[in-house]
Amino acid sequence: MEQPHEKDVTEGLATVSYSVNSDGAYTLVSGSGWHPVNVVNAQAWREIEKEISAAEDKIRSGRASCLQYYMTANQMDIGLTAKYTGQARWRVRLHLVPFFFSRLTPDAIRKYAELFQVTPEDLKNGRLKPPVYERRKDQQPHHD
Amino acid sequence: MIDFTHRQSAHCESGVAANLLTYNGIHISEAMAFGIGGGLFFGYLPFIRINHLPLVTYRAAAGKILQQIAAVPGITMVRKTFRDQARAMDELDRALTASIPVGLQTGVFWLPYFPRALRFHFNAHNLVVYGKEGNDYLISDPVFPEPVRCPAKDLQRARFASGALAPKGKMYYLSRVPTELDRPSLIVQGIRFVCKMMLGSPFPLIGVKGITFLAGRLEKWPRRLGSEKADLHLGHVVRMQEEIGTGGGGFRFMYGAFLQECADEMQDDFLRDCAATLTLAGDAWRQFAVMAARICKNRADPKDTYPVMAGTIRQCASLEKHVFENLQTWVNEQS
Repeated sequence: MEQPHEKDVTEGLATVSYSVNSDGAYTLVSGSGWHPVNVVNAQAWREIEKEISAAEDKIRSGRASCLQYYMTANQMDIGLTAKYTGQARWRVRLHLVPFFFSRLTPDAIRKYAELFQVTPEDLKNGRLKPPVYERRKDQQPHHD
Repeated sequence: MIDFTHRQSAHCESGVAANLLTYNGIHISEAMAFGIGGGLFFGYLPFIRINHLPLVTYRAAAGKILQQIAAVPGITMVRKTFRDQARAMDELDRALTASIPVGLQTGVFWLPYFPRALRFHFNAHNLVVYGKEGNDYLISDPVFPEPVRCPAKDLQRARFASGALAPKGKMYYLSRVPTELDRPSLIVQGIRFVCKMMLGSPFPLIGVKGITFLAGRLEKWPRRLGSEKADLHLGHVVRMQEEIGTGGGGFRFMYGAFLQECADEMQDDFLRDCAATLTLAGDAWRQFAVMAARICKNRADPKDTYPVMAGTIRQCASLEKHVFENLQTWVNEQS
């Protein structure tokens, strides 16, 4: 844990694993995050963060609707989003285009809002709230 | 409330199996449940993609262990899946009212008590619900040190997560157990199954052959994919190997613990030797992971290269081949 961004991804969750003691017998020992796990997990998260900022760029330049951000941030692809919202993939694909997204019915908006746990107004106004797993119990939107 | 003993485990499925059996009076360790359930495996399946990266698995398909446990003579496991979410929750409540601890398959993404960074769309996580207080369910999640709580709304979402391995509200509980397990025969059966998987598969991507295949592919990644993508692939292999639930070394250590326990159970030191060799294989996997981590962090020594790592993986393959051939002979002697 030399660098701050390489923090233990389990947030201090003490997991257990098997290891051999001095007598050669296996025991269950407690310890959070072995070093290489943290390195490769941090690598995976850096990749996700890259995708999120690419999505944000696209939205800023008007090439994608805010749905693109919410899907990327919640690690959902078109197939998964379609399944969760109970519609065809091509519809989700269409809604990634700002032109179509801005013309969505309140009903369609509500489905996305429920999935990403934000309000329909957030989606309509293109507010980019943190993903589901960043939400704390108090549900306070935080600004970066 | 149900007096359920929570025991932390290294892997969720074997942990749930062991905890449920122990609750029903059959005292069994996690490693034993893992071994009897035939949990060890290897598969490199590049045509299945996770986040655009090839699937590498060090254990049997999700649900395999529970399936094997349910098939043990004398055990009856009630298993249900649902279409209707409200019915699934009602059924859970009814079982809890009847003082039955219930195992659930869930998606981790929707479980609020999980550490943020582990909330991927992985849908084959197992846990036991043993009570309800107000709107919260009391949960014994085997990878956590203590029991946890989860609001009903979130648990419902987790039970009906979509995507690969969708749980469809799956719940299960033991309705009948024998007074004592016929351990020796279950052990032999479990080991035979794993030997067959590791040695006997006709497919080159499965078992020991799969490990060798991975080594060959990994060696070529920098040339085929470019160094950046190669590093991502490499990180993914290590992540699958060392993620929570593997007990490190891609489940090899957990299986070693199982073999040691078998050696005591069956008074057979041969199994202890097999465990020791498997420990060496686990150590070699870890050695590979350490080198891979240095590469992923751009802190590679000059001697950290893909061919060297491929060599380490081949070493794992030959050690595991040795172990499972020995075990196969042992299994054949038993009957």
